[in-house]
Amino acid sequence: MSNLWDVLTGNSESLSSKLLLHAASLVVVACMFGVIVFVVETRRAEQRENDSNIQKYLSLHDVDFGDPVDRSIFRESLGVFLPNQSERNDSLLLAIDDLRQRQFSDPAYKSGSQLQGLTLEKIGEIVGMYVQFLGVYLVVLVVLFVSAERIGLYMFVKTKQHRASYLSQFVEGARQLRYRGKLEKRWIVARRLSLLLLKALGKGAVLAILFSPAYVIAYAVRTSFDTSTLVFMAFLGVVSNGVLIQTANRFFTLLVAESHKGYVQTAVVKGLSDSYEWDTPRGIPRSALFNVRRGIRSHVFQHIFLNARFQFIPALKEYASFLVTGLIIIEMALNIQGHLCYELLQQILYRQYDVACFIVFGIFFTVKATEVGVDIWHEREKKRYGY
Amino acid sequence: MVIDSAVNRTRLRRIADGSDARWLMVWIAGLLVLWIWDAIFLNAPAFDAVQTSFLNSLATGIMVVVMALFFGWVIGVGLHLLERSEARVLYDIASFAVDILRSVPQIIVVLIGYVLLTLLLHEGTIRSTAGQLVWIAFAIAVAVSLEVSDTVRERINHFRTLDFVDAMLSCGISETRIVNVEILWKNSRSHLLYKLIAIFGMSVFLQCSIDFIVSVGLSTDVSLMNFPVTLGSLLANVDSKQDILAISNLFTDPGYISVILVRHLQGISVAFCIVFTLLCVYMIANGFVRRHRLV
Repeated sequence: MSNLWDVLTGNSESLSSKLLLHAASLVVVACMFGVIVFVVETRRAEQRENDSNIQKYLSLHDVDFGDPVDRSIFRESLGVFLPNQSERNDSLLLAIDDLRQRQFSDPAYKSGSQLQGLTLEKIGEIVGMYVQFLGVYLVVLVVLFVSAERIGLYMFVKTKQHRASYLSQFVEGARQLRYRGKLEKRWIVARRLSLLLLKALGKGAVLAILFSPAYVIAYAVRTSFDTSTLVFMAFLGVVSNGVLIQTANRFFTLLVAESHKGYVQTAVVKGLSDSYEWDTPRGIPRSALFNVRRGIRSHVFQHIFLNARFQFIPALKEYASFLVTGLIIIEMALNIQGHLCYELLQQILYRQYDVACFIVFGIFFTVKATEVGVDIWHEREKKRYGY
Repeated sequence: MVIDSAVNRTRLRRIADGSDARWLMVWIAGLLVLWIWDAIFLNAPAFDAVQTSFLNSLATGIMVVVMALFFGWVIGVGLHLLERSEARVLYDIASFAVDILRSVPQIIVVLIGYVLLTLLLHEGTIRSTAGQLVWIAFAIAVAVSLEVSDTVRERINHFRTLDFVDAMLSCGISETRIVNVEILWKNSRSHLLYKLIAIFGMSVFLQCSIDFIVSVGLSTDVSLMNFPVTLGSLLANVDSKQDILAISNLFTDPGYISVILVRHLQGISVAFCIVFTLLCVYMIANGFVRRHRLV
């Protein structure tokens, strides 16, 4: 029993215990949502019954409940048929007013028969949208992982090259420009400075795009591009909301932390190269950024990369949740009909909380499935490196 | 005294030389330039709206940071103390619940907070603007506080492996004091401060996004007048959207930039505030990591 409890509570670090924990949390959340759906459905049934009881009064011919005269005649008639029950009669009139008001203002009444809660037809519709959401999510996740790795590597190499930023180089160059004598030489330096300034501006613009929320980018290009396509959504999912730069920065941090470890110094002493200059015999070919595993043998960078990557894999779990947040924002903010998160927003608007819970559970399942996938992948990597 | 002031000067100099302080100055200077530009070119009602929205978002961000620190600290230390106590089952249940919360996307947690806020508004429980901002900050803090609790636990676990904790325990110092004062307050402030800077950026992003979504998607249910104006809700305003849409003209006519910077100022100012703040906060956090050698 205690073993089972240990496995269930994750005290054991094995893959099976992790998977069991994920399954347990899915079951718990499913039960929670099940209870909510049950409560909402019960209340809806009660509401429907109450409304049908009240509706028969509203269906009375020749009685206009908006007319004060008709209302007082109705109240007096109630008093005649149900004497000594004035409180009950007042409550009935209040209930009639409430229903009349809801029939005018409640979006559920405005939308007619579409809002029937979690029916089989609705579930089928949502599953279709979910599959589409999942497709976009998987594409974005893979592209994000690969791109973040490359950008992180590039940032690391640049740091190791100890080059000042474009802006610092520009400021330094501008200072030197004052002391240069010949006009021709000044012109060459000025051209170099212009190039540096352009590079700095370009870098600033790229960073601004990477940190822009998806809706800012989408609205900025809406009149020039079709922003409702899945490709554009996937593109936004990768480049906007700061997801890419945050993920790349995480990998970069792992690379830096790894490069400070003792084994790196030992490897350098034993003869492995540690030059980070581009395309030099002991340095790093640019093409190696796309194939570090095989592209640069006899270089300490390869080992730093492999060890950092091993730690980067579990970090993907943290980014999965953030990535889903980004995709939800994109779908909701762009108001594209037929998408899962737009549907979620509509269901919340129409107070169809059972349907909303069903969609939220789908999203939770996506994150959990990613966590399961990452755990399995990490376990395989562990075995591969003999942990 | 002379030595003290010399040391202080050096410390100030070091802080000013750090890229985090530089980016903080860039952020303030950028916003100041925008404020002056808007004061000259933006009409008075829109200028007021931009100022109010920025201050509301800033206030919410600061509240989120304070609340997240409190929740994260309590959760982190609470889990640690439960783990070390005999109430093992309680610890398992608590960590299981925390794991579930971790897997819920933050925007969903904040959205649930907004749904509850609309219910509270309908019932009249919350009426004041300040009350609404506090509620919004609370919802965002719940969503992001696990990041602080993770840092807290990471720091405690790191220090637990060192001898000084056992030495202090043998000296009769209580574990609560060791954890809260010696480990977290005296030895982990930089780590927590870094996390709080990142959380400020995250809260600005989440708040703007949710306000934009709510203003676009739930506007028939809850009047925009019900919610305090923030950068996100102001960006969702029709005028601001038109201003952002006008950026497309730059693809065909780059000279249109001069028109955008004068005529479409409301939306551009709000978008600039959001993007520039997110970028600067990221740079400040990175600079802070470098200056304190947190990696």
